[in-house]
Amino acid sequence: MKLALRWLLVFSSTCNLVYGLTTEIFDENLKINHLQDGRVSTTFTFETVLKGASPRDPRTLNTQDASQHYVLFPLTLGQILREYAVTELHLTLNAGNWNYDRWGYPEEKGVGTGAELWAWMGTGAPTSVDDRWKGLRNALAGLFCASLGSLDEQRTTSPTRSYFPQGVLPNWNGNSTHQLRHASLPSEHVCTENLTPFLKLLPCKSLSGVASLLNPHRLFDADWHGMSVHVLWLGAAGIKVRLTFQSLMDPLRSSISNNQNWSFQSLFDHTIERNCPAANSSTVQVTLPSSDSYSAVPEPPVVSGSLATYDVLTAQKPLDISVSRRGEFQYPSSFQAVAPISVTRTLQGFNQANGRLSLVLRNHRSVPQSLVYLETMPWLVQFHLHTLQARVEGRIHDDVISDISYTAAVPHSRPTTFQAMLRLPPNSVTRLNMDVDKAFLRYTEHPPDAQRGWDLPPAVLTPLILDTNGTHLSDEYRLGEPIYTSTLLVDVATPDFSMPYNVIIFTCSLVAFIFGSIFNLLTRKFVVLHLDSNQGN
Amino acid sequence: MDNNPPPNPSPWLRLFRRNPNATTTRLRRRQATVSFFTRRLSQIIVALLAVGYFWLLILPSPRLGRGTYIDENALQPGQVNTYWNWGDVHAADVYLEQLELLRDSNATSHQRAQFLMNEFAKLGLSPATQKYSFQSSSNHGSINGANAYAILASPRGPRNEAMVISASWLSRIGEGDGTLNLRGVSTVLALARFLKNYSLWAKDIVFVIGDGYLDGMHAWLNAYHGVKQSNLEAEPLELTSGVIWTALNIDYPGHSFSHLGLFFEGLNGRLPNQDLMNSVQHIARYTGQVPVTVYDHLEWRDPSAQPSELTFLPSPLCHHPEIKEFAYRAKNILRHIGYQARGRASGVHGLYHQFRIDAVTVFAVPAIGPHGFHALGRIVESSLRTMNNLLERLHASFFFFILTTPDQFMKIGSYLPSAILISVAMMFRGLRCWVDAGWRPDHPHSKKGDHSPRIPVWSRRSRPVLHVFAMMLMTHLCGVVLFLIVRSSFFLYRQKLLTPLIVLAVSLVPFVVPKIYYPFHQGVAPAWLLLKALNLCFASTVISTITVLNFSLAALLAVALGLPLLLAQPSKSTPLSWFKYILYTLLASGWLFLFQEVRDAIWQWEILSVWFAPFFCLVYTPLVIQAGIVCILPHS
Repeated sequence: MKLALRWLLVFSSTCNLVYGLTTEIFDENLKINHLQDGRVSTTFTFETVLKGASPRDPRTLNTQDASQHYVLFPLTLGQILREYAVTELHLTLNAGNWNYDRWGYPEEKGVGTGAELWAWMGTGAPTSVDDRWKGLRNALAGLFCASLGSLDEQRTTSPTRSYFPQGVLPNWNGNSTHQLRHASLPSEHVCTENLTPFLKLLPCKSLSGVASLLNPHRLFDADWHGMSVHVLWLGAAGIKVRLTFQSLMDPLRSSISNNQNWSFQSLFDHTIERNCPAANSSTVQVTLPSSDSYSAVPEPPVVSGSLATYDVLTAQKPLDISVSRRGEFQYPSSFQAVAPISVTRTLQGFNQANGRLSLVLRNHRSVPQSLVYLETMPWLVQFHLHTLQARVEGRIHDDVISDISYTAAVPHSRPTTFQAMLRLPPNSVTRLNMDVDKAFLRYTEHPPDAQRGWDLPPAVLTPLILDTNGTHLSDEYRLGEPIYTSTLLVDVATPDFSMPYNVIIFTCSLVAFIFGSIFNLLTRKFVVLHLDSNQGN
Repeated sequence: MDNNPPPNPSPWLRLFRRNPNATTTRLRRRQATVSFFTRRLSQIIVALLAVGYFWLLILPSPRLGRGTYIDENALQPGQVNTYWNWGDVHAADVYLEQLELLRDSNATSHQRAQFLMNEFAKLGLSPATQKYSFQSSSNHGSINGANAYAILASPRGPRNEAMVISASWLSRIGEGDGTLNLRGVSTVLALARFLKNYSLWAKDIVFVIGDGYLDGMHAWLNAYHGVKQSNLEAEPLELTSGVIWTALNIDYPGHSFSHLGLFFEGLNGRLPNQDLMNSVQHIARYTGQVPVTVYDHLEWRDPSAQPSELTFLPSPLCHHPEIKEFAYRAKNILRHIGYQARGRASGVHGLYHQFRIDAVTVFAVPAIGPHGFHALGRIVESSLRTMNNLLERLHASFFFFILTTPDQFMKIGSYLPSAILISVAMMFRGLRCWVDAGWRPDHPHSKKGDHSPRIPVWSRRSRPVLHVFAMMLMTHLCGVVLFLIVRSSFFLYRQKLLTPLIVLAVSLVPFVVPKIYYPFHQGVAPAWLLLKALNLCFASTVISTITVLNFSLAALLAVALGLPLLLAQPSKSTPLSWFKYILYTLLASGWLFLFQEVRDAIWQWEILSVWFAPFFCLVYTPLVIQAGIVCILPHS
């Protein structure tokens, strides 16, 4: 009897596995690039495709959902997606500021500092999109141990000109539309507590395959790191979940002889010991240095151009890829611009009542460059839109900014959304300036560390892609890769929430009380009058 | 009104029931108190003045101070291992050699900035330069220069907080008279090379080499914060980082040093948060093993200190430790007052304070030994780690202090009352004059043989305030004219020639101003009394307001204005009145003969917006002139 039961168990699990492997495909990949300034960027990508699946129709939210049986697809994520009928979801958690001028474009384009969450959700549900958005961010906050719950109405916007669906949006019966919800939290600190739940979503955790290189001790010592979760619908092909982890290591930092050599061991302090059995494919791609004076060990089996590809499934274990170069590394005197523009955003002024938002945009190309400029600002910084001014090489140019759409902030409830089209002249420096007001907060609205100030989310600049004629596509323009600016820190008027502050408050109250009596004494004269007792009655 | 109390009030209720005579008693008591004060007002004023001046005198007493401490727990000074080592000292030496070559080849500002930028670029930092030029009427045309700076982006940092390590090309020794700060600059370069090897920086580190002494850094800070100044042309900064909370300025003019001196006074009397200074002091003492001093004054206990300056005292007193301690503290306080009252920055750090950045200068007091780059590097590294720990801007109202010794300071409560007491005395006297001006004693003719005391009969007289206000306004307008003249380049080029003329012109003001129609007759208060009342009240208000902005200036004003304004009074004899008047004129405008001081103050106003010069012309001089007018007005 016992034996029969065991056989049944083995049989059913084998069936399950076979079923899973045919309808769910898991691919893993690690891409390593050499950057101009000697750093090494590593990008881990884990993709699971749920074949033939489609997102939940929000109109069926009241009815019982079909049961979810996944083998490789992360169940906890799947449950959240179906509970709130989310069609497309993008979550990034990054630490650090991506330097486009030195590092070029990242492999994964969402590199805004802190947390960023955006989702496309269908309408027509019994519950509103905003209610589901609230549920979604709270559920994800729980799943990823991040403060996504504070991405509330004061931070939620719908910037449809900069964020397009990455997959396909289903059209249920032809009368359903989708809405975008976007929010970012620049003050989110990303660390181990976010990586652990991230690893739990992988079929092999960090035990085998490429994922075994994800060693938190090394990843969180990097110069930049970020993780992201993307869920999108591919149409008939099914639903894809892409989990990525990017980090930027500096081999020069720990190198005594000042050279750029790296290996898995030196970067991650781990090697790949065994394959992930669930993986359909498992590859490591290394962009080889342009010069010949390097050696890659083991010898790459496939090299196309400068891209060497290793197949982890067939490679000899333990796999420890290393690239070494001869000679010391010399920093170049200037860096070659990879991105078409570079941008610096600052908040100038040092008082607590107002300031000036300043954007310096450099167009490195010899052709005019158009881009979509998106600024989402919490209400505590309020724009004076009439002061928006663009100067090209010191002279005012009104034609730089066009096509503005602006949703003004509502104090204590709604953020500003500012979108505009910018057109930068070739090889030029353009300065955008706008005066801003800093809000005066209610004292309960101050955070516990009030003296630090408030983090403001990054602006996003999305260049338009040129077509072959060199002119921009007029109607359905295509967006290039977005460029995130750095975040800002704003000082609003803050009481000193400390003991001396209380003393000052008490003293002021006391003075205010005493003032009344003193004023009375000064302005009135009190004398004793004796009234006749008969007159008194 | 509670005329009918309930029939059986409980004992508790009885407590709250009014005694029918209570109001009368209270009023009597109040009247008695008021009359006690008014009768003894003169004694009270004298007592206040005596206590106030005495308090000012005993500020250096060791009994008034208390030990310094760290208020912000996040700072954790001196709690880290430092890694700055002899290899880094060697790097600093190599940088120094290159800088000396630059110095010997008489490199221009621009060449220097270019060199520094290349060095920063070799380290892989993002460097840039900034050219600037100031127009000034006092300094023979314009000041030009070029700053170099570089930003070390913090790993995993959001790029919205930064700390600054700076060194100016000229040292603060001799207020930028040309002594170079080469070792300070090479320390910054070597630190840049060293600090980029660590991944623990939570804030960006900005390395700035300011050209000149104060001018370069001022141009850089203005550009960083987007502040426009009409006489400054500065290139906008190519690179920026986030909000700067703290900064450290390194000044190392000698070839080695024995002590580290702390300089902290900023422009317009601003002081940095004491936590920063205390942290640096703590780190220097316990991590760097370097003794710390206030300014470059060595403690009297220090074996290398100069022999005592107290030689004028009899020898047993001269060697008394208590007196030596008092003298040492007095020297520190006087130096502090010298910087703060004039609104001067005691070093490059002073420019930061106006942008809410807490900064101090770490000054390597030149000596033949024993410390050098090794100690300095470790101290700066550890201080940066402490600054890196900050989660919030330094706050907690730790901005009011007088540092008497490196580890003792005076709290606001132990020095502020001195000036306040003097200003209260002035206010009381002013109010007394105001009351006196409103009443005229009429002595009734007593009959012969009547020995009863003659009780004067008081009658009201009118107080034409507007006339007196007009007089005061005139003097202040004269102050504006005086300031406009003094700051003009026409005056500054012919200073020695024009100064006597201007003093003469100032001395004529009291003759012109009272010519405003004033109804001199019996039923009207004498003009001098009214003018004195308003003058004293205004001066007192000014002093007590300034105490919290700039205590040293308030103390200086209390000393300079207190007694002179209180004593201003016309005399019955004309020569005496004239003598008084000349004294007041000298007090009001004698400072114009301090030629260099005037030039410096104007330069500070034009370039750094230090409001000492306009304040002196617009407030101090008119106040003293008003006292002079009081002396030459008719007595009754």
